[in-house]
Amino acid sequence: MAVCSRLPLQSLIHKHAHVCRTVRIVHTNAATEEPVYPPVLPSLTAKSRSSKGRRIAEHLEKIRAADVHEKLDLLTRVQRKKYVLYPQTFALNADKWYQHFTKTAYVPGLPEKFIVDEDKEKSVPATNNAHFSIDEKTFGDIRSYVCHSILQENWYMKKRRPFLQREQEHFVSPFLRNLISGLTHTLAKHNPVLQLSSLDFDPQVNFYWMRGQRTIPRGHRSGRVEPIRFQIDDKPHSQIRIHEQLTQFVPLEEVISAEVPEIKLAPDLLPMFRRQYENNIFTGVKLPDPLCHGHTQFHMVPDRYRRDKMAKRNLTDQVEVYLRANGIASLFAWTGAQAMYQGFWSRMDVTRPFVSQAVITDGQYFSFFCYQLNTLALSVETDAGNPRKNVCWGTDSFRLFEEVKDGAVVGLDDRVLNLLVQFLLNK
Amino acid sequence: MFKETAKRFKATAPLLLQSALFRQARISTIRVGNSVHGHRYFNVSCILNAKVLPRKKPRVKVDIPGLERITYADRMHFVPGLAKPFFPVWERDWNDPSHFYSSKLEEMPLHKEKQCFIFSQSTNPLEGVRQALWLTKSNLTKGLPDQVLSLVNNKANQMENLDDRVQNAIRHACLWDTTEEEPSREKYCGTLVRNLLHLCGSLQATHPGLGRRIFAEKYSLAATWSRGDELFQVRGKNGLLLNSMDPLPVVAGKEEIQNTADHILETFYPISPTIDLQRVHVYKELSHTGFKDDYPYPHAHTLFILRAGDTLVNLPPEQLRAKMIMFAFGNALTRAQTLHGTKAGVLEEPIVVQSVATDGQMFQFVVFQLNTTDLQPDEGVKNMVWIDEDQLLYDSAIVCPVLKRKVVHV
Repeated sequence: MAVCSRLPLQSLIHKHAHVCRTVRIVHTNAATEEPVYPPVLPSLTAKSRSSKGRRIAEHLEKIRAADVHEKLDLLTRVQRKKYVLYPQTFALNADKWYQHFTKTAYVPGLPEKFIVDEDKEKSVPATNNAHFSIDEKTFGDIRSYVCHSILQENWYMKKRRPFLQREQEHFVSPFLRNLISGLTHTLAKHNPVLQLSSLDFDPQVNFYWMRGQRTIPRGHRSGRVEPIRFQIDDKPHSQIRIHEQLTQFVPLEEVISAEVPEIKLAPDLLPMFRRQYENNIFTGVKLPDPLCHGHTQFHMVPDRYRRDKMAKRNLTDQVEVYLRANGIASLFAWTGAQAMYQGFWSRMDVTRPFVSQAVITDGQYFSFFCYQLNTLALSVETDAGNPRKNVCWGTDSFRLFEEVKDGAVVGLDDRVLNLLVQFLLNK
Repeated sequence: MFKETAKRFKATAPLLLQSALFRQARISTIRVGNSVHGHRYFNVSCILNAKVLPRKKPRVKVDIPGLERITYADRMHFVPGLAKPFFPVWERDWNDPSHFYSSKLEEMPLHKEKQCFIFSQSTNPLEGVRQALWLTKSNLTKGLPDQVLSLVNNKANQMENLDDRVQNAIRHACLWDTTEEEPSREKYCGTLVRNLLHLCGSLQATHPGLGRRIFAEKYSLAATWSRGDELFQVRGKNGLLLNSMDPLPVVAGKEEIQNTADHILETFYPISPTIDLQRVHVYKELSHTGFKDDYPYPHAHTLFILRAGDTLVNLPPEQLRAKMIMFAFGNALTRAQTLHGTKAGVLEEPIVVQSVATDGQMFQFVVFQLNTTDLQPDEGVKNMVWIDEDQLLYDSAIVCPVLKRKVVHV
């Protein structure tokens, strides 16, 4: 019996012909044909929805293609009414609202990098911290320098009685300036980043962004949907700027357990008020400065928000809230402005996190905040599927010293000095 | 009739003017500066920028003894022909600061017969450095002493990339510090000094001795001394003082100090050396460094004076140098008086104080050495001053190029 086999058809066909092996279709460029007609696009100037869409798309393309200077100019050119967000605000429970506006999750405590001693007596200088280590002698020098600065302003220097409501500017502001410059110069030996840093006093930080949308209730544009604009104009007491970005605390895509509070009420109810003026985005220096990244900001609590004044108004519980709101808003503005200086904006989200730190103090009580900006995409279109959120770590206020009595500082707390040193040694 | 109305108008016009000016005075106390331009004051109905007339002396009431004055006091209203009653002065039994009437100068507790000339931070002395040298009994040497210049030339004291860092500091202060086009002079003057001080402070890594210093802002100095027959004082806030735990090393040796005794102080007759100084009869003879005795940084190291500082007075360079000399001298004198008491005499260890002043572009450097507190006679050992004047840090730092007739002006 003949073996049943299938004869390949190919051999029959090509019996007398040349056997072609399977010809693999080599990847060749298909013969490109030049389109004869231009692409069909909606009109640029017509009064139609598609035309409006094309105009918006072209504008966005223009922004994407521009360099940083023009980008900032294009984004801040049009002035409209915007909510002015004050980092130092009298509004009650402002920290939750600010977290919502800036999409920030607040984590109590500091990142693992920093060691916070729980007990006052057991505090040791930052000698056993793996990341930051200085020797006992330097820490002793720092401690005596801090004591001398406190005493200089409160005891040694001959001063007139301060004008009413100007005690902070009279006593605390010069002490802070001395403290910051002294600490920065002493720790420059241990942290090379501080060697090349710049220390600004009374800088200006501005940031402009859009978050959420609203339907215009009345007027010739009523019924239309427009984004809600915000502006922060902050004046920290001082800030340190460095050449390179601080290392991130957590990776960019990490899921943080803390939630961003959502507030469905309009910002007017905080209260927040709308004004129209120049939209500024400013880190403290203009674009050409090479020291464009932020290290630490120092804020001084004004007289109105001192503990004793808040206690007189029965707002003791709002003291910590105020500090948190200040930390979140100021640091968001600073890191956001730094990110925008690098060319990122809401439709081009940050590819690396921007990190900064802040210390808020009223001369006696110090609070520490760390901020990581993971996303700038806060507007409605860009926030739709954005899982990232900004993170702010913060502590409650620690008391640096109890009082100044007879030419000596009573009750100096080493924990605060520890944290200050660790903050400044961060790189 | 017109003459009478004219007379009455003239009588009332100064009153109207004075009341308007009084209101203007209250307005100007609220506003910073005295400009009323651009502001609308609805509570005033007459001119706001008239000349402020000097206060007229009130008419002296003569009391003739024996002559009883018949007044309209008991009638409780004006009666033509009767004298105006004299009511006793009513004094509030508590101190109301908005109704404060100061007593006459002669009745003040600190009033003295002898006048005193005070040099403060807004003094603009006519003769500048010459006047300051006469007042402080000093000798001038142009150029900084070798001791300071050797520190400058020492390689160990220099930092890497100094040029770039200084240029960045200047650019930051003069060009980049604001959202506006360019920052104002007051702002960039202060920022530039702070930036340069931060640069110097970063040298603390290699020179740990820099950690034994601290800055003092808004300190008040008081120094008193007599020259010839007159009493002089240096008073008030002047600038940023850098205090140190260790004194500055003496610049000039004993021989040079003795040689200064031969020099003659320059006088500028017919101008008196007390010109432009504030002459007062109410003063306290005080010598105070501005800090308590147990201050851990007792030695004044360097005084940084900005062109205007807190005052509204912009001094020209010559007068700015005079201000530097006077305040450096004041600091040195108070230190000497704290150490050795008020007894005048030649110091065994001279005290050295430095000073740096700037208007944002031009820098002046002064090193002052106090050799003697015996300032009354014109002869004897003199103090010594070294000045390095009018040093431009940079030629220009402008945001937009200056265009004149379509050509860039350099």
